[in-house]
Amino acid sequence: MKRLVKLLGLLLAFTLVAAACGDSDEDSTPADAPDSTEATESTEAAAPASDTNVGLTFDIGGRGDQSFNDSAAAGIDKAESDLGVSYTEAEPNSDGSNRAELLQTQADVSGLVVAVGFLFANDVAAVAAENPDVNFAVIDDAMLDFDNGGVPRGENIAGLTFAEHEGSYLVGVAAALKNESGTLGFIGGVSGFGLIEKFEAGFAAGARSVNADIEIISQYITEFPDFDGFVAPDRAQEIAGAMFAQGADIIYHAAGGSGAGLFEAAADFTGTSGSKVWGIGVDSDQYNTVDSAVQEFVLTSMLKRVDVAVFEITTAHENGTFGPGNTVYNLAVDGVGYSTSGGFIDDIVDQLEAAKADIISGVIEVPTEP
Amino acid sequence: MSTTTLDRSAPSTMSERYLAIPTPLRWMGVAALGILVLTIVQSMSGTSLLTDSNTSGTMLRWSIPLLLAALGGLFSERVGIVNIGLEGMMILGTWCGAWGAFNWGPWWGLVAGAVGGALGGLLHAVATINFGVDHIVSGVAINLLGPGLTRYLSERVFVNYEGGSQTLSPRVDGLGNITVPFFAGGKIGGWESPDMLGWIDDKEWFWISDMAGVLRGLLFNIAYFTIVALVLAMIGSWIIWKTALGLRMRSSGENPSAGESLGVNIYLYRYIGVMISGALAGMAGAFIVLELTGLYRGGQTQGRGFIALAALIFGNYKVSGIIVGASLFAYPLGLSFADFDGSATRALLLVITLALIGVTVWAIRKEKWVDAIIGGGIAIAVLIWYLTTEAAPDWLPNTMPYALVLLVLIFNVQKLRVPQAVGAPFRRGDH
Repeated sequence: MKRLVKLLGLLLAFTLVAAACGDSDEDSTPADAPDSTEATESTEAAAPASDTNVGLTFDIGGRGDQSFNDSAAAGIDKAESDLGVSYTEAEPNSDGSNRAELLQTQADVSGLVVAVGFLFANDVAAVAAENPDVNFAVIDDAMLDFDNGGVPRGENIAGLTFAEHEGSYLVGVAAALKNESGTLGFIGGVSGFGLIEKFEAGFAAGARSVNADIEIISQYITEFPDFDGFVAPDRAQEIAGAMFAQGADIIYHAAGGSGAGLFEAAADFTGTSGSKVWGIGVDSDQYNTVDSAVQEFVLTSMLKRVDVAVFEITTAHENGTFGPGNTVYNLAVDGVGYSTSGGFIDDIVDQLEAAKADIISGVIEVPTEP
Repeated sequence: MSTTTLDRSAPSTMSERYLAIPTPLRWMGVAALGILVLTIVQSMSGTSLLTDSNTSGTMLRWSIPLLLAALGGLFSERVGIVNIGLEGMMILGTWCGAWGAFNWGPWWGLVAGAVGGALGGLLHAVATINFGVDHIVSGVAINLLGPGLTRYLSERVFVNYEGGSQTLSPRVDGLGNITVPFFAGGKIGGWESPDMLGWIDDKEWFWISDMAGVLRGLLFNIAYFTIVALVLAMIGSWIIWKTALGLRMRSSGENPSAGESLGVNIYLYRYIGVMISGALAGMAGAFIVLELTGLYRGGQTQGRGFIALAALIFGNYKVSGIIVGASLFAYPLGLSFADFDGSATRALLLVITLALIGVTVWAIRKEKWVDAIIGGGIAIAVLIWYLTTEAAPDWLPNTMPYALVLLVLIFNVQKLRVPQAVGAPFRRGDH
């Protein structure tokens, strides 16, 4: 009996330790570090050698979200094979309270630290000031000090932002051209911090440029500072179901990982009602990331080339051309765009390209607020 | 003098008459009156969503995880173990559910989810019953263990599946749905039966159509898993209140020393109770995976384990109360999903006002002056909120469960009946 109790005690102790290790920043812990270096060594033969390490620091959700973070991961994978850099990954714990510590750990072993997500902005500014010989880049934040006339927040800090409204405008045009019911839907992940509203504004402007009377119903899953809206596919599915029931036949989502629910809802509604409805993906080409069973409901995706931004900033760092300040990835540099996978919008590509040219040339100015 | 006697006896005969009505009829009556309130509010605030069949359908779907987890909490608390680890057990259930469903099909997903949750329950039982660990500490540890362990397992297992990753499982199918024929227009062998309730709903008769709409939502496209959950709730109630097993389990939670002196193996019944608790919480997780999202995703339980605890308290540790609590908590969410301009959620504020006025009137009749002042005060505040706002904020539906439980705790303290020995340490042979 005593031995059994001891054994159970040991088991309990183990589970508590496992629980303590459960915070998902394991890739930055020393125990796991050899893994990533091993991976690099194996590819070194093919790629030009470089002793640079990039500290890729994900947002909550991390590698494997089939959306925003995975796009950044794709960029670093390309940099690894093309430029021969190595990288370490890290991801904050679930309440995001250890961002600064993660950045510092990354800075200790890296020449360039890329923080994926605007939530890192203030922590990067603080950590960068203490590590002047390390370069920092933040995705989705301009990293400019607007109180001081918009100067960079540090000589070693770059902000990489995207013209999401321009890409959204194009998928809005596509949605309106394919629309039959007169109603479109928009599902945003989290409202109230300005970023997701850009998607909605561009989408609505694009749709109305085709059909001024089109009705657009819009719903956000959660409100800032509750970021669950990016990881709640169940809620997105219910909202999308209700929008389809109220007459929308195409819904665009800007809700990160929640978007999976949109395509499920499209499949469900098409199955029960018999009339085909669509979803439009975001960030990466979701036709290629969703399950094959719902692929036929992905009309197109608004591409936000986080991978390009990560790759380019790494290249700049390698070439010694890293400069502080804000780089905007817009339509002109193919930083945003639309996907044609599945071939559902092949017949309207000409119109989309015309709209794209008009945006690039400045004929169309896309609003950033709905 | 005679009039005062009459006044005093009148409510008691009324409540006697009320109690003489068979329970199912009584509940139906209460539901019909509730819908009447919704109908009136609807006509006042220009929305039709409150009694829409889509809203009641979503409410049913979203209440099931709460119901199952709260039922799990009930089994645990009834044997005297506080189970704040429901959330963690639910998370284990989501992972195991997705894993089972992906490998062997949805029904095995249900089973695997229950097993995964039961393992969490076993851990909680070992810690609290054998080692005498504080129930809250053990529960919190399980809540921490859940996300960590499932993430670790995903990195070892789901990453190797096509479409899976560190935080995602591949897509899995649900158990399937059924629409009740004749009432909601379900199919019988390919033949589409008439949709009676839908027909009444379309007629727009005052109150009648609204009742039909709500009912149709409950009968349209019901997941088989939902039926399983409701049957489990009935079986659970029967086990706890009508069987020898249930009596012994309850004795473990009310007075374990007395139970033990009568030869009841308290440890055994506590183990049974906590493991059933974990299994039900795990099943709640499997429901989220199979019926609400179609995949496992890290963090998808979103605190439902805690809301389930709230439903348990709201339901006064009874199955019928839990069902009402879970439905009430899921209703605002069901409403908010279809409420694109915030008007229906705003109308909900008026419903709350009316409910609080009802409570206030009740408190005045019972001469509970403090309750009456609190109730009346909150009613006025909510009414002012309703009158001054165009659209209710997005966070309101998520906050409602907690607000409702606080109100219940304020007004219902005297009637709340917690198992006597819950949370207290108990050692075998220790009297």
